[in-house]
Amino acid sequence: DLLQWPQIRKCRSPEMETFSCFWTAGNLYNLTVPRILQLLYKKSNEEDWKECPDYITSGQNSCYFNASYTSVWTPYCVQLASKNEVYDKKCFSVDEIVLPDPPVHLNWTLLNTSQTGIHGDIQVRWDPPPTADVRKGWITLEYELQYKEVNETKWKELKPRLSTMVPLYSLKTARDYEIRIRSRQRTSEKFGEFSEILYVSFSQIGIGCDHCTEEVEFPWFLVVVFGVCGLAVTVISIMLSKQPRLKMLIFPPVPVPKIKGIDPDLLKKGKLDEVNSILACHDNYKTQLYIDDLWVEFIELDIEDPDEKNRASDTDRLLSEDHLKSHSSLGAKDDDSGRASCCEPDIPETDFSASDTCDATSDSDQFKKATEKEEDLLCLNGQDNDESLPSLANTDLQRQHRSTQSENSHLWAAFGDSVESPRPSVHTQISNQNSLASTDFYAQVSDITPAGRVVLSPGQKSKLGRAQCEGCTEQNFTMDNTYFSEADVKKCIAVTSHEENEPRVQEQGYNEDGYFTTESLTMTVANLGASTAAPPSSEMPVADYTSIHIVQSPQGLVLNATALPVPDKEFNVSCGYVSADQLNKIMP
Amino acid sequence: GLLLAALLVSHMLLTKEGVTSMPICPNGSVNCQLSLEELFERAVKLSHYIHYLSSEMFNEFDERYAQGRGFIAKAVNSCHTASLTTPEDKEQAQQIHHEDLLNLILGVLRSWNDPLIHLASEVQRIKEAPETILWKAVEIEEQNKRLLEGMEKIVGRVHSGEVENEIYTPWDGLPSLQLADEDSRLFAFYNLLHCLRRDSHKIDNYLKVLKCRLIHDNNC
Repeated sequence: DLLQWPQIRKCRSPEMETFSCFWTAGNLYNLTVPRILQLLYKKSNEEDWKECPDYITSGQNSCYFNASYTSVWTPYCVQLASKNEVYDKKCFSVDEIVLPDPPVHLNWTLLNTSQTGIHGDIQVRWDPPPTADVRKGWITLEYELQYKEVNETKWKELKPRLSTMVPLYSLKTARDYEIRIRSRQRTSEKFGEFSEILYVSFSQIGIGCDHCTEEVEFPWFLVVVFGVCGLAVTVISIMLSKQPRLKMLIFPPVPVPKIKGIDPDLLKKGKLDEVNSILACHDNYKTQLYIDDLWVEFIELDIEDPDEKNRASDTDRLLSEDHLKSHSSLGAKDDDSGRASCCEPDIPETDFSASDTCDATSDSDQFKKATEKEEDLLCLNGQDNDESLPSLANTDLQRQHRSTQSENSHLWAAFGDSVESPRPSVHTQISNQNSLASTDFYAQVSDITPAGRVVLSPGQKSKLGRAQCEGCTEQNFTMDNTYFSEADVKKCIAVTSHEENEPRVQEQGYNEDGYFTTESLTMTVANLGASTAAPPSSEMPVADYTSIHIVQSPQGLVLNATALPVPDKEFNVSCGYVSADQLNKIMP
Repeated sequence: GLLLAALLVSHMLLTKEGVTSMPICPNGSVNCQLSLEELFERAVKLSHYIHYLSSEMFNEFDERYAQGRGFIAKAVNSCHTASLTTPEDKEQAQQIHHEDLLNLILGVLRSWNDPLIHLASEVQRIKEAPETILWKAVEIEEQNKRLLEGMEKIVGRVHSGEVENEIYTPWDGLPSLQLADEDSRLFAFYNLLHCLRRDSHKIDNYLKVLKCRLIHDNNC
């Protein structure tokens, strides 16, 4: 056991008239001769220590100071000592150590009960501790009442109050309660001891409720329902609120599909020029192998006098074509699928290596120039048709503009001129083009016939009746500046030979000097409405551009066959140009 | 509007059970006189409030500055009002004449007027004094003045003769509150606050005894 010294436990005054001090003796007592502990006290204005006047009244190990020894506001010091040894010392004044006795005479009376008889109100009364002289105002007490149900463990507390009675409301009549009270001096912090417990039982006075229902438990269900409703109302109010910031914070807008660099508003109300230029930069809407963009580049590069009108018309045509070709040209296209825009002609994003595409681009430029140089060799030479011209790749257009076609036999220039003259009609024609007339204004020369005709590659996948060119002969390769593929031309020839009697030359005769695409051929076929030839394998994707296989002479170029049944992805000719190697790969 | 509401709430919280303005005379009539009972009621309320503030302030100061400095051991002090022979127990309080007791109360209150003023000003110079201590010092000083006025009114009513010796003890503790040494200075504050708590308790008690005696005839 640890050695415990004698200690003054506490000094207490119940009524500010007397006080007592209590100590613990410690276990020194047992070790040696029983020591006699003394409590000595001294008032502040005295010099000598006096001994405790009463060791008995307050019990063992205590000292009781009666009223004659008590001076309330006088500082005291007490010390616990024996013989010559002081074990403990305390200094205080009596007004600081007041701890009242507990109240007495607790009782309760019924105030009223609820209508259902489940709850009742009672009034609890008590008397102040008898020792405290409250009547003369010597001490002012305040009381704290605590109560609980009999089988509960936690007491409920009421606020301390001065009065000696307090009502308790809404007690359950079916249950029994316990009440206890304690008091303290009004400006102190410490409470005295608790009074005896008062038992409250409603059944004793005959109002016990035997048939009362149990109290309703906390309505969790209702709470949840109302919480959800409140939340819903809040959400709806937020949604309907005019505050955009709040709305955006809670309901962020779902991003709409966008093309990088394309402003949907611009498309709605922007200038067509801008839109066209933007669209031209984006070749995303290309779904086929045939890619116009390079031709756009070609056109732009080729036309040396920057005629905006021409451009406008060109872009209009392109635009219309694009619209016809691809439904979603203005729609959401994947930004990443695009190639280099026309703004960056040297930057391709194709499956091919950059060098290839660059080369392709440059090659196509060269090719263009080559074709220009050899325009005389093209089918324009032998043609006396003054009406040949580059109308747009629309049979209808050709028909209408037959007479208006200029006599420019240049492929490119013809196109440009034709653009000039019949521009308005061209425009209208463009706008009136139907899906069938999705011919291309520019097509790649795929072959040059010995006769000097240029064979153009078809522009589109879904060219109808590509080889349906009834009545088209080599020399009747009229039409606009479109191109046929060699294969198509052959088919065409075949067909032509097969049906020579078709009085259709007129249709095609207007443009002997021009070029025609397989599309236009098919157009004629379609127009005739008597196309009996089986649709060629026009479903196959045809490359718009092929490499120059042979340059036979200054008069001609032979291009590789472009009818390659390759899957799109493999033949994703963004530049529309297939290198020989790739072509070999693709070709069986 | 919001500021006013905040001020009202803070006032309510601060006054606690203390002193709110009670309606005195209706509409400032000239001959209005409060009954003695009313005067005592107010006096008791004020004295209780002052004691409550003193008690709190002492506790706060003790907690904040006195811990570990051994001030408690030195608290066998003597207050400057110790020279006034005030009743030290219930018997003495019951035996003393109420006029004398009233005079004593007045004397104590007057004796504290000066120290309270200096306390309010000097406590602000304590390093990092908490705001609660500061405003309590100011409040106590103000309420003490009001209680003094009230007590003079009561004495005027109760006293049947002329006022005899004006009881008063001077206070010379100001230099101790301005000591350079922080420990000594804080001990001076500690003692002063201790004395203040005690004397405010005395006055509160005396007034309650007088009230019960004079108003309720010893039957509170």
